[in-house]
Amino acid sequence: MAVAATHVGGGIADHVHPEPQGFIRRYVFSIDHKIIGIQYLITGFIFLVLAGLLAEVIRTQLMNANGGFVSNNTYNEVYSIHGSAMVWLVVIPLMTGAFGNFVMPLQLGARDVAFPWLNMISFWMFPVAGLMLFSSFLMGAPVAGWTEYPPMSLQGEAGTSMWCAAIFLVGISSTLTGMNFMVTILKMRAPGMTLTRMPLFVWAQLATAPLSMVATTALAGALAALFMERQFGVPFFDPTKGGSPLLWQHMFWFYSHPAVYIMILPAFGMISEILPTFARKPIFGYKMIAFSSVTIALAGFMVWAHHMFTSGLAPFMQLPFMLLTFVIAVPTGVKIFSWITTLWGGKIHFTSAMLFAIGFVVLFALGGITGIFLASVPTDLHLHGTYFVVAHFHYVLVGGSLMGIFAGFYYWFPKMSGRMMNEALGKWHFWLFVAGFNGTFLPMHWLGFEGMPRRVAVYDPQFQFWNRVESVSSYVMTFAILLFFVNILVSLRRGKKAGPNPWKARTLEWQIPSPPHYYNFKHVPTVYGLPYDFSEPLPYRGLDDELNDAPAPVPAGAH
Amino acid sequence: MAVASLPNQHVEHAEGGVDRFYEETRDLRLTGFLFFLFSDVVLFSAFIFAYLYLRNSGQSWPPPGIARLDVAFAAWNSVVLFGSGATMHYALENWKHGNFNKYAGFLIATIVLGIAFLGGQAYEYTHLYFVDKISWAGSGIFGASFFTLTGMHGFHVAVGVVYLTVLLLQSVHGVYTKEKYFGLTAGTLYWHFVDIIWVVLFSIFYLI
Ligand code: HEM
Ligand SMILES: [Cu+2]
Repeated sequence: MAVAATHVGGGIADHVHPEPQGFIRRYVFSIDHKIIGIQYLITGFIFLVLAGLLAEVIRTQLMNANGGFVSNNTYNEVYSIHGSAMVWLVVIPLMTGAFGNFVMPLQLGARDVAFPWLNMISFWMFPVAGLMLFSSFLMGAPVAGWTEYPPMSLQGEAGTSMWCAAIFLVGISSTLTGMNFMVTILKMRAPGMTLTRMPLFVWAQLATAPLSMVATTALAGALAALFMERQFGVPFFDPTKGGSPLLWQHMFWFYSHPAVYIMILPAFGMISEILPTFARKPIFGYKMIAFSSVTIALAGFMVWAHHMFTSGLAPFMQLPFMLLTFVIAVPTGVKIFSWITTLWGGKIHFTSAMLFAIGFVVLFALGGITGIFLASVPTDLHLHGTYFVVAHFHYVLVGGSLMGIFAGFYYWFPKMSGRMMNEALGKWHFWLFVAGFNGTFLPMHWLGFEGMPRRVAVYDPQFQFWNRVESVSSYVMTFAILLFFVNILVSLRRGKKAGPNPWKARTLEWQIPSPPHYYNFKHVPTVYGLPYDFSEPLPYRGLDDELNDAPAPVPAGAH
Repeated sequence: MAVASLPNQHVEHAEGGVDRFYEETRDLRLTGFLFFLFSDVVLFSAFIFAYLYLRNSGQSWPPPGIARLDVAFAAWNSVVLFGSGATMHYALENWKHGNFNKYAGFLIATIVLGIAFLGGQAYEYTHLYFVDKISWAGSGIFGASFFTLTGMHGFHVAVGVVYLTVLLLQSVHGVYTKEKYFGLTAGTLYWHFVDIIWVVLFSIFYLI
């Protein structure tokens, strides 16, 4: 059995190496993709708490129309770091670094990613970059928002340069991860796992990886230019020296529009695993979902200027960007219909993971719809720069990405830890979170329509009522997240033993013990079909020894 | 155990080794390296885009008060760099055919030509700075884009020179064999990549 594996798999040697001993090699500078995934998860959650506290500073300031909680300048610093941290230190690393690292190689039937050492290095860049970003508070944090438009970003204090360096570093980290994942997925699939037999979460990572690779490198260029201009006076963006502030906007959005897909495509993948498992039905439209991810990734490079409709873009440029943005919403809609059809007539198990997955579909769809409002030039001229935009991207990023992270976490926690999460707490978490979330962000739609501008520390008193509703709701949301962390800690100690496959799921990671051995698979399995046919026997061969205590083969001479 | 019957068994583990479970096959590393080069292309493209964008947003080019670049000199310097591309090609070919001496000769020639190119660039920079009074930060978008892009490229050439020297020493010490020479392949690809970037930079700065 193993021989076949070697021939088909190319570089796969069917034996395992002993696990390194000693705390440092095992848990700190580990090269095991599973440990690295968990390291990303913990670090990302720590930054989620920090950036979440900044959000509460924002909401507390906005309780009153005339502010008063922090100074106007501090307020600007706080929302700038809040946004930057949530995007670069929370959502992106959790989507790719954490879940990608832990789950993807297991689903491929691989024993690690292509370049484990590189993986370790990418990880360690991330907390360092995070510390750099937060340290900018000590030297005058950036005040121009997460988008740092010049000329304001050229005038910011020293912290703005630190911001450039921090984002540059975390960007390099995500570029390297993207390369690593590309090679892993293209070259290290178990024998028999053709591209069209890959689980949809792997497809999602495959669509995300080139975005991390290409878009993030372009961002690195923009950041380097901003840094050089700030530190050495090299003119790129300063109009008084012949530079162009619009150039920054082009470069930034050429990255940041694809980046919104880095932040959502992996969640699409998670949802596509979770819905069929708990509806006990094959995923509807496997190929449509897989290909729409790829389409979104490619088309995502051609719509960046929809962020610049009010920036003085030539009118003949506006029309194509508007139409292309409409077009790119189509593959997203295709996915939503596929998910609904998957649920249709299924025997649905409402676990916490499933609740978050269904919540994702609903809330993300709302965010997609407001996206269309913003994509049409005439409405955007009115809505740009208002709270409507804030509502839009929080529906896609919190209702979408963060709910996806929660769904994925409830789903894969048993695999990571060997224990079950507490379902009762999980449901409290879900309902409080959804209530708090909608209370916080739903009113922003009409506040935006009525013209309340974003990024202001004080506002017109007519908006005060809804702002208070939002602030109070945001505390509920924070409390829900607190419950989530309590749940993790309680379940790690007291949770029921999970066993290998508590959800009776069919992808490869569920066919091995929880948590998996260091080497993942004793023998590399062979794959015969898609993992989503719940009525058929499992489409794998070579897994017989995974759940008994047969020893794993060791290479000659390494005993 | 099935292990003994497996072909492809050689795995470089141990401390300095490459990978725990997989032979890092030439294939994996090659693919990874190509992706690396690809994102490097993107990095250059970002600055090339910036340059063209700024250039087209102004009135005249070069901007008033900026002397024209010395095209003839740069053209000769380019010939030096392209020549080094050719010698690198022959170095790898000779390695594959087992002609170690010719291989070493061509590789040394490549390194020397690379250094010569850098020397030419240093001369050009000095001339621009002292005679034409054009500098990185003090000459508007011309200085910014010219020195940033050609400087990035020069940096890549310098890294390449160091890397090729390392390869030379490694091959003298028998690190590579006639079958396993991934480092040399990577070095060659990198060097050609640097050449191609120069074709683009030369065209956009000196020709158009
Ligand atoms: C149906 C798909 C979508 C469409 C049509 C769409 C469209 C737009 C448009 C036109 C804007 C610019 C609004 C303005 O500034 O005036 C925008 C902003 C934004 N979108 Fe979307 N979007 C979509 C999905 C997403 C997704 C999936 C994400 C992230 C996961 C996302 C994240 C954002 C963010 C972060 C901003 C605000 C950037 C800022 O700070 O100015 N969008 N969207
Ligand atoms: Cu966008």
